[in-house]
Amino acid sequence: MDVLSINDLSIRYTSRVPHVLAVDGVNLSVEPGQCVGVVGESGSGKSTIGAAVQGLLTREKGLESSGGITLAGRRLDPAREEGWGAVRGHLVTTIFQDPMSSLDPTMTIGRALGRVAGGKEEALRWLEDVEIRRAESVLRAYPHELSGGMRQRVMIALALSRRPALLIADEPTTALDVEVQAQILRLLKRERDGLGFGMLFITHDLGVARTMSDDIAVMSGGRLVERGTARTIFDTPREPYTRRLIGSRLTLETDPKRPLGPPQDVVIEAMNEAQRERGREISPVARAWADGDLQWSDFDAPSPEPGGSALVLTEVTKSFRTRGAREPKSVLRGVDLKVAARESVALVGESGSGKSTILRIAAGLEAADRGTIERNGDVQVVFQDAGASLTPWLTVSQLLTERLRSANPGSDATDHRAACALALERVALDPEVLHAKPAHLSGGQRQRVAIARAIVVPPRVLLCDEPTSALDVSVAATVLNIINLLRRELGLAVVFVTHDLAAARIIADRVDIVSDGRIIESVNADRLANDITSEYGRRLLDAVLA
Amino acid sequence: MLSSPEILRLGTGGCTQGRAHRTASQVGVAEKVAGVALIVLVLVAIVSPLLSPYSPIVPSGAPYLPPGSSGHPFGTDNIGLDLATRIAWGLRTSLFAAVIVTAVSALCGLGIGLLAGAVGGWLDNALMRITDLFLAFPAVIVAMAITAALGPGLVSSMIGISLVWWPLYARLVRGEAARTARSLHVEAARVAGTRGIRLLVRHVAPPVLPTVLVTASLDIGAVVMTLAALSFLGLGAPAPAPELGSMAAAGLPFILTAWWIPVLPGIAVGVIALVFNYAGDGMRSFLRAKGV
Repeated sequence: MDVLSINDLSIRYTSRVPHVLAVDGVNLSVEPGQCVGVVGESGSGKSTIGAAVQGLLTREKGLESSGGITLAGRRLDPAREEGWGAVRGHLVTTIFQDPMSSLDPTMTIGRALGRVAGGKEEALRWLEDVEIRRAESVLRAYPHELSGGMRQRVMIALALSRRPALLIADEPTTALDVEVQAQILRLLKRERDGLGFGMLFITHDLGVARTMSDDIAVMSGGRLVERGTARTIFDTPREPYTRRLIGSRLTLETDPKRPLGPPQDVVIEAMNEAQRERGREISPVARAWADGDLQWSDFDAPSPEPGGSALVLTEVTKSFRTRGAREPKSVLRGVDLKVAARESVALVGESGSGKSTILRIAAGLEAADRGTIERNGDVQVVFQDAGASLTPWLTVSQLLTERLRSANPGSDATDHRAACALALERVALDPEVLHAKPAHLSGGQRQRVAIARAIVVPPRVLLCDEPTSALDVSVAATVLNIINLLRRELGLAVVFVTHDLAAARIIADRVDIVSDGRIIESVNADRLANDITSEYGRRLLDAVLA
Repeated sequence: MLSSPEILRLGTGGCTQGRAHRTASQVGVAEKVAGVALIVLVLVAIVSPLLSPYSPIVPSGAPYLPPGSSGHPFGTDNIGLDLATRIAWGLRTSLFAAVIVTAVSALCGLGIGLLAGAVGGWLDNALMRITDLFLAFPAVIVAMAITAALGPGLVSSMIGISLVWWPLYARLVRGEAARTARSLHVEAARVAGTRGIRLLVRHVAPPVLPTVLVTASLDIGAVVMTLAALSFLGLGAPAPAPELGSMAAAGLPFILTAWWIPVLPGIAVGVIALVFNYAGDGMRSFLRAKGV
């Protein structure tokens, strides 16, 4: 018998205007010991399903639902409280993206876990079970004293110690470094094999879904688009949406010489449809792309300017004084970075490696303690959090104009309008966006506006700080395409900070691996898999391959 | 060379238009009433010279006429001046002076607070210590001392109050400006080449303005009270100028025989303060509901 079966479930939020049909007639089932991955982009309804199955929507106002959820034989209504009390936290337990929000900060791990598991010894046994070393000392620790990976392990121990029939994992590894992520995923797999619970694994990360799941359910716009085994979804997807999603995914096999995108037949279909509906002519470029004979090198600006270096950092050190610590913490320990004109360099490392600090120093946002920084020309930055990097009360047009005015004080309104239009065109945004404020744009649109501001006056160097890591795969692919195209058309040097080797490969000519405040290795992006020799680099590589 | 952003558009899509949610305004009944009363008060202040056939400084009837006498709805004072006329003129003076004092102190405080909060460092320290110095003394007493030193009069008391009033705004603005100045969008604007006053005005100041506006509107009532207090103590415009505080003070000897002479101007001061407080509250709820 299925541990979870969802029958024709629809959920509509009537409190929002316009009413949002978050889940639209979804059928889904999980057998004991099976892991079903629910993948989809933001707004696909995957999180609403997760919340509904945990009975977290019963207090939501203005919720309409039809269809039902059957959990281990009990029929439950996601919009009504009755019956959930006996289920929540017993039959179903959950691990979230941010364990800090679900651990009591005033309680030691030992007490929190002891309450649920029934005693100190049981707690210790569970900590050892989730592969926590020195479990004794962790028992005495408070949540804030643990690392992100440790906290997530404790969350898993808490969730499993209740012996659930179904474990819901809602983006449990999204906030973690690749290597820790791989460890957590291995742990979850092992536990599932040992304890035999069913698992609903909600994620936006197709790679993670593939590693974890037996079956994958692809969601889009509240509907279940396709369900199949992980293998069929990845190797022979049927639906155009799934193919598009899979096609935008980055792996170490993705061809970095061509624009990222969906498979050709999906593009051709979309183009033909666009032509039918809107009567738009298809340009030779789009046609060439669809036919698969479009390469990035076609876009290279015709006359290369004289070379030389665009950005040189020599023996840069930096330390931060953190509150409470007596000694300043050393973040950069002598970084040498040379970026030639029109060269694209990726800085790859885990969080805390110092890669973002290098970028901030290169941008002049932070002063180096020692060392020299040579900038031959203008430097612009694209930040990870596009929403926060755009001033919320200014319109796109005001943001772009401000940049134009400060770069060319003599320019007038006509110049500004033309330059804004061109910049928006370059990042593939409609001109209507000009009068919108950031809050009215989607995440992808905001990041493109941020890029437009950076290139509206073409700089010599474009610094990108994880510009795609907060975006859905297809949107991230678009943003990577834009950066690749711009760097060729405008002849920019690019420094691309990321934790993702697969993305680094797409953007960069050269990949520099950053660890513990140093650049430990510098490899050609084309031969990434062969050339990485450092142990740390290989670990990053393994994490991507897994 | 090829150039075609449409491949990007075609490429992968998936961008939807975001939406901004807005809740209905939650302004209470009392605040709405206060809003209406405020408009009435301001109108009375503006047209007061046209409202009454009498002059505020020339006797127009028998002395000691009680409220409700024909032709003198609020009665007359000890020398036969029409109280209704004098209160309307007093309202005009008080509101006019209070608006100017509040505006001047809010602007000064805004400028100083923005500079201190956004620039930080030694400038912040210097400006905030000066602010603390002003805040350390009891405001009304300092205002009195300054007014007395400048020589009693309406302008002197306005200067005196402005000088003790701005530090409150500087404090208020500095905290919020410091928070905003640390946010990513300010850093991004700096990278984009925006500097100096422009950075301050365009990227740091806007979220502070609603707070300043609400505080200022609440403050007008308090400034009216303080002005009245100074003129009650004889530091305002000399008699027979129609000022609410000095009217109350001058009428005090008659409180047992003709209560309306000191009490009515006092009530007028109270009403102004009350109306501005409620209206300020209403403005705050309104701005909050608008999501500012």
